[in-house]
Amino acid sequence: MNFVIVLVALLGSVWLLAVVEGWTTTGRLRPAAPLLSGLAHLGRESIVPRTPDRVFFETAPVLLLIVAVLGAAVLPLAPTLVIADLATGALFINAALAYVLVALIMAGWGPNGAYAMIGGWRFLGQLIAYAMLIVMPITAVAMRAESLVTTVIVGSQDGLWNIVYQPLGFVLFFIAAMALAFRAPFDLPTAPGELGGGVDAEYTGVRLGVLRLARLTLVITLASATTVFYLGGWHGPLLPPWAWSLIKTLAVAVSMLLAGRYLPRIREADLMRWCWTLGIPLALLNIIVVGLLVLVVP
Amino acid sequence: MYAQAFFVAVFGLAAIGFGVVVFRTSSMVRSALALLFSQTAVGCMFLAMQTEFLGVLQIMMMATEMSIMAIFMVMFMMDPGGMGGMDMTHQKRFSIGAGVVAAGVAIVVAFWADWGPVTAEAPDAAMQTRALGIELLGRSMLIFETAGVTILTAMIAATAVAIPVQTTANSADKEDTE
Repeated sequence: MNFVIVLVALLGSVWLLAVVEGWTTTGRLRPAAPLLSGLAHLGRESIVPRTPDRVFFETAPVLLLIVAVLGAAVLPLAPTLVIADLATGALFINAALAYVLVALIMAGWGPNGAYAMIGGWRFLGQLIAYAMLIVMPITAVAMRAESLVTTVIVGSQDGLWNIVYQPLGFVLFFIAAMALAFRAPFDLPTAPGELGGGVDAEYTGVRLGVLRLARLTLVITLASATTVFYLGGWHGPLLPPWAWSLIKTLAVAVSMLLAGRYLPRIREADLMRWCWTLGIPLALLNIIVVGLLVLVVP
Repeated sequence: MYAQAFFVAVFGLAAIGFGVVVFRTSSMVRSALALLFSQTAVGCMFLAMQTEFLGVLQIMMMATEMSIMAIFMVMFMMDPGGMGGMDMTHQKRFSIGAGVVAAGVAIVVAFWADWGPVTAEAPDAAMQTRALGIELLGRSMLIFETAGVTILTAMIAATAVAIPVQTTANSADKEDTE
């Protein structure tokens, strides 16, 4: 039952996010637009490029969707509303989302196109930049909760959310999550206007539809992870717990979209430099500060 | 119990299957990713054997490691896509012999070794994670720290070797790219 509820919540959030995205880009609020464009994808011809790596080409969009949903499986909407309350939940989400890289390399290599391939390998470089900034802030979160269980992590924020307890970790995680979801300004693998769509370039029809759905699901999963790790998950007054989870998740997802709209795309080399020379030392500092707080403050 | 044995067998066969694909394809990227999924299947075997932390860790680490290996194979091999029909195997007879002997030895050892009593009930996943953490920060700390520092030293040394020696001829290029 939890499985169905979480999937419906995920789909609903993706739909809302797509509506908001359309609203901010076209200026018109059209609730039916995501459904119509999804149907249009089904109707269009789905072209397969010449001499593709067929296995990769077909697997990539589906794999991206699966890993985004798997990541969401360990994130609780309410104290008991979680698909799998694993003892290693905070590690599991990293394991699932590591396969975003695999999916993008497949999507880049599969179609046998130059732009797609550059996009796919670019994301490998992007991973080397952001990966530590996902893992190290989560380490600090787990230190405070003294557990890797996601429901315990939310429970540990009762009274004081992690965004206040470890604001540095939140900022780093938020930026790294945007890089993981390859949203602007970190949309290097797709880079519209520069790589002609990158990994998206050779996909059409149904396959492109699945790829777009997977990208939006990934944003929602990461926004939900931000909520669980830093914004107190289901905690909040008056409204039921699941409502707070959804409201916070959507707020984070929309803020990711907005941040992307007002920032120019960052260069690969600059991203790498900032992440390694500034991001990782700050993440280490965050771990030290949280460690001291955990030991000193009762 | 039977379900557990079933899943261990399924993932074990998947690991072997992907392992065979590694050598059956001439595309370097396919080969690398087949190895990745073979290792992922080993991670799933860990999960089926109720060692949750090790399984999840294995599944996570292999995704990035094998992808990085894939790009190195693309960079250094002459026919990375396998579309030129190049044969990249060599010493076939010796390899087959060595492979059969090694597999035979492994099977004999597996059947003859005294594995000790079988644990009736695996401790729950949270306890395993805790026990692993205490092991890593206790008895095994020196080993892991030494290994970590050694790898870090090797990485720094490799990077230092890879940086080209700056001469007046190429200093202008360097400024352009910065």
